[in-house]
Amino acid sequence: MSDRTLPRLLQTPAVILLLIWMLVPLGMTLFFSFIRYVLNSLRRPEWTTPSIENWRGGGNYSFVWNNDGFWLAIYNSVFMVTSIIVLTVLLGLAIAVLVNKNFPGRGIVRVLLISPFFVMPAVNAVLWINMILDPVLGLQGLAVGGLSNIVDALRGLPVLGNFFSLWPEIEPISFRATQTSAIAVIIMVTWQWTPFAVLIFMTSLQSEDQQQKEAAILDGANAWSQFRNLTLPHLGRPIAIVVMIQAIFHLSLYAEVEIVSRGNGNKNLPYLIGELSTNNIGAASAAGIFAVILANIIAIFLLRMVGKTLMD
Amino acid sequence: MAAVSTQTKFGKVFRPTLAWIVALIFFFPIFWMIFTSFKTDADAVKPEFLFFFTPTLENYVNMTENYDYWRFAINSVITSTFATLFALIVGVPCAYAMAFNPTRATKDILMWMLSTKMLPAAAVLYPMTFLTKNFLGIYDTKFLIIVVLMLINLPIVIWMLFTYFKEIPREIIEAGKMDGVSTWGEIKDILVPLAWGGVASTALLCFIFCWNEAYWTVRLTTTDAATLSKLIEGNRAPEGLFFGRLSAVSTAAVGPIIVLGWFCQKQLVQGLTFGAVK
Repeated sequence: MSDRTLPRLLQTPAVILLLIWMLVPLGMTLFFSFIRYVLNSLRRPEWTTPSIENWRGGGNYSFVWNNDGFWLAIYNSVFMVTSIIVLTVLLGLAIAVLVNKNFPGRGIVRVLLISPFFVMPAVNAVLWINMILDPVLGLQGLAVGGLSNIVDALRGLPVLGNFFSLWPEIEPISFRATQTSAIAVIIMVTWQWTPFAVLIFMTSLQSEDQQQKEAAILDGANAWSQFRNLTLPHLGRPIAIVVMIQAIFHLSLYAEVEIVSRGNGNKNLPYLIGELSTNNIGAASAAGIFAVILANIIAIFLLRMVGKTLMD
Repeated sequence: MAAVSTQTKFGKVFRPTLAWIVALIFFFPIFWMIFTSFKTDADAVKPEFLFFFTPTLENYVNMTENYDYWRFAINSVITSTFATLFALIVGVPCAYAMAFNPTRATKDILMWMLSTKMLPAAAVLYPMTFLTKNFLGIYDTKFLIIVVLMLINLPIVIWMLFTYFKEIPREIIEAGKMDGVSTWGEIKDILVPLAWGGVASTALLCFIFCWNEAYWTVRLTTTDAATLSKLIEGNRAPEGLFFGRLSAVSTAAVGPIIVLGWFCQKQLVQGLTFGAVK
């Protein structure tokens, strides 16, 4: 056996497994996206079996492309992913800088902060939408109700009451409604992924050049300009990585969308594909290929970034 | 150094206080879930029992009866354990070869492996259902879930192991070769003791990801192989919801994983950023 054979042999199972995992289902999706293929059709029963004879060419693609639901799903996907990323990065930066210095109980603070990241997505969604955000039984409903009661009581007061009557009536918000369900998803995912951003930024802050910082302090730089000119450039790469990893993960958000409102008002691309998959496989596959393209655009940037550090 | 250690009032009082407040806010939903799990279903929705109530273990005692918790939990344990095990069996030799005998193609192979992780699951949902249901007949089996969990985590496992193995000085291995140690001996006596920590934390992280997976485990199972993700997702309905018992089952589902997670915070960074943030 030559020197090269054994290493190759050791890599083969992993490569073959991943090759099958990637090529077979994706190849099938690609094939289905070019044919007429539905699960139930009384009118055209021949369409219920996948066959090359039902060739439709680009028909599924143009069907999906010209479908308002598709663009709404793209919009929802992009809206939710962007909001989550902006919020997690800003919160993550603030919190990472806050806990970067030593103080009593820092270890416990870290442990408390990281915990949300390990909660399974289904529990995260069920917990938030029912026990916290529910307009009647959740903490939101109770808090708003309590506040209204206090304001009502204050209105009854002499003199001061006139002042409080200017206070607007507040109603609890239903987070399962069309206008708000995307916000609910953003809140719960931000809660779960801010710890991830904090953890990465904290790790990176630990490798920050302390001598440079000391020099800056001696030169009389204030905290903000230190952060702006030293810390932020140092965190450039970690921020880029946090953004891209989250983009890839959140483009496939599913459990949260399903649990909050079953796609009402927050239907994103994966959810739309899931819905189409209940019957129109051809269209679902075409939408799937669009999702692959979208994910790949981000993945290329991420891979480049990761690749740079790979061999050193 | 003197300049840095001058603690301002902000540094001494304000910063720790703010940090604690932020940490408590972030932990609050988890605390609330655990807290509510000790209330009866009736008490859990009454404002007068919001903070003060008679704690009960009833929700935990009745977990099996209410939700058939253990069946799902055992499925989660079995699928996550075996998926992790198989990912290691396939991943360790691969990462070993890549770290110690890198070729020009190694970097490209690693990149390609990572790219398989980025394929949106929804895009291949129907083919997977079709293949496993109509063609292979393994839909809703633990075997299928094990294989799928293994495959989606394999890139991360290989990547993490690779970054660990790379840190091991090659001279040690070379010296072993000089002394006439066989390849197997090389792995057993030199590599394993040195890489043990890395392999263990990789396994831990892989297990956590398997446990929390919520797309394939929900979509490719109905009853026989259904995991905890499926159990929780099945009880999402707002109407007739039982906060007490739901909290108990949720706590039981995420509690052990949160504790495991605390032990591998550092590895998490490496595993999730593919070694790009140190």
